[in-house]
Amino acid sequence: MSDIILKADNIVKYFYEPEKFQVLKGISFEVKRGEFLALVGKSGCGKSTLMYVLSTMDTDYEGTLSIKDTVLTKKSQNQLATFRNENIGFVFQFHYLLPEFSALENVMIPALKLKKYSKAEVEERAYKNLEMLGLKDQALKNTNKLSGGQQQRVAIARALINDPAIIMGDEPTGNLDTANTQIVFDIFRELAKERQQTIIAVTHDDDFAKNCDRIIEMKDGQII
Amino acid sequence: MLSSINNRISQVHLTSNVKQTIVAMLGVTFGISMYIFMTGFMTGVNDTQADLAFSALAHVRIYNDGPADNSNIAQKLYPKDLINVRNAKVIKYTDGIKNSTAILATLGKQKDITGFTSQVNINVFFKNAGNKVNGLVSGIDVVSEDKVFGSAKHMIEGNWKELKYRSDGIFVGVELAKTLGLKMDDNVNILTSDGISRNYKVIGIFRTDVYSVDKTKAYIAINAARQLLGANQDYVTDIQIDMVDYNNTQPLIDNIKSIIPYKVESWQMGNQQLVAGSSLRDTIARAVSLTILLVAGFGIYNIMNMTINQKIREIAILKAMGFSGGDVTKIFLTQAIIIGILGGCVGMVLGYIISRLVNNVKFEIAGMHHLPMTYYPHNYLLAFMFGLITTFVAGYLPAHKASKIDPVSILRG
Repeated sequence: MSDIILKADNIVKYFYEPEKFQVLKGISFEVKRGEFLALVGKSGCGKSTLMYVLSTMDTDYEGTLSIKDTVLTKKSQNQLATFRNENIGFVFQFHYLLPEFSALENVMIPALKLKKYSKAEVEERAYKNLEMLGLKDQALKNTNKLSGGQQQRVAIARALINDPAIIMGDEPTGNLDTANTQIVFDIFRELAKERQQTIIAVTHDDDFAKNCDRIIEMKDGQII
Repeated sequence: MLSSINNRISQVHLTSNVKQTIVAMLGVTFGISMYIFMTGFMTGVNDTQADLAFSALAHVRIYNDGPADNSNIAQKLYPKDLINVRNAKVIKYTDGIKNSTAILATLGKQKDITGFTSQVNINVFFKNAGNKVNGLVSGIDVVSEDKVFGSAKHMIEGNWKELKYRSDGIFVGVELAKTLGLKMDDNVNILTSDGISRNYKVIGIFRTDVYSVDKTKAYIAINAARQLLGANQDYVTDIQIDMVDYNNTQPLIDNIKSIIPYKVESWQMGNQQLVAGSSLRDTIARAVSLTILLVAGFGIYNIMNMTINQKIREIAILKAMGFSGGDVTKIFLTQAIIIGILGGCVGMVLGYIISRLVNNVKFEIAGMHHLPMTYYPHNYLLAFMFGLITTFVAGYLPAHKASKIDPVSILRG
């Protein structure tokens, strides 16, 4: 396997509402394995749009996207869903946990979907992840009983459960105070270094971006 | 697959908002129990109606309908000319059925016949001193008449079998007895249209609960009736036939019509109003209960739609994490089907209870004591199936909508 984990080639995307507008104007770049990458830029520059294209959830674009040497452009929604399940973890500005489930179950859901391990093994791995994030004693609580920082860490544990090659974050610290931001940043840092997992995070936070391996700044749909 | 993650999510959704689940379930329960109650009641009414009707009516009847009107034969030969025949007469050469033995032998070979009986029916005047009432005397074969019409159970005084041994005996309807002031062992005089008069002794009184029958009918032995008419041993006026399935008389009629030179008539032909009544009741019952099920279906549709709107972010995140559209459909359809099955089971029990309660309501008209009710298992199964289909459709539409949710537009906010 090559050292390049993600390759975007001449990505072009239009918005059609309220009128036709070119959001991404031919973006090409590569991301290496284990790289901690920040996507920055002003509001409306297209950085979030780019991230959702990279995440495979948005399929309405021109150009070619490949992750782990697999070309993902033109694949069906169901194939992409399966690919995401195995290879991409998500952390959003809001935690988007399932409120009726315990923290442990929330973490287990993507792995139960993947069916690579038995339920007992999945449970063990989920406990390990929660422990790593300092949440072992909160595992059986319903997620709506946890604090904001704890919820975001559960969401990270969930993103990690299938050992994805890439973790994508859309403003992952956007809703957190300074202390929790630092915790989340440290976790990402460690994941990139220790586990060679690639992290691509869209952020407004300059301090956060400054400490990353690489910053990609965007303006008007182009990388500058 | 019961422990799959999709089912686990369905289960949590159902149990985390129990009140909402129960409301959706009650919709199905109500629809199905009403369906069961309505069809049970309507088939009960129809069965009772049939029982009442068939106490005086056979499923198929053979009789001499009189000749066709051929009084103006010349007109048929010269259709273009106008031909007038004054005072034309339709002449009836035969009266009643002459060769009954041969016909009965033919009937004995037919399938799907449970019984048949011959009758000699005579229109008469009943006279008791000054009272004069016109009515019908039916000369019957005691054994086969009871087999076809169950007449013996209608006797309120006297013994049905006795008629067999008493050629001077007569059974009269309870209302007829009242009109003429007759009691057991009284004499009654009968006058036929040919002017023959004879005395009989009342040896029984019956009540069929069909007023017009009780008011005008009397039974004598069939040979006594032949004697009254001066007819031979083979003479009958009607042959009455009972069949296995009274709704299916046509095949028999088609079979024997060509070999029997008399009119063969099913009860449906002679009693269109009964057929219309029972099929109209069936239609009403179906329309009402299907409407109720439809309303229940809308209830489920609404609740599922609401649930999906509430959980739209969760659905988006599930899709982001790798759940396919099919998985999402499964998750919500499973919920709808579980609601349907639970609601259906409770609905069948509730339907049975309601039916039992209504069945106990007193209703004392025309020989009934309680409101009629049936408990056919196939009606219960049908109700359950309809309920399940309704929930499936009502659940599928929102579930399909959920599967089409675009996670990007939801997650970007």
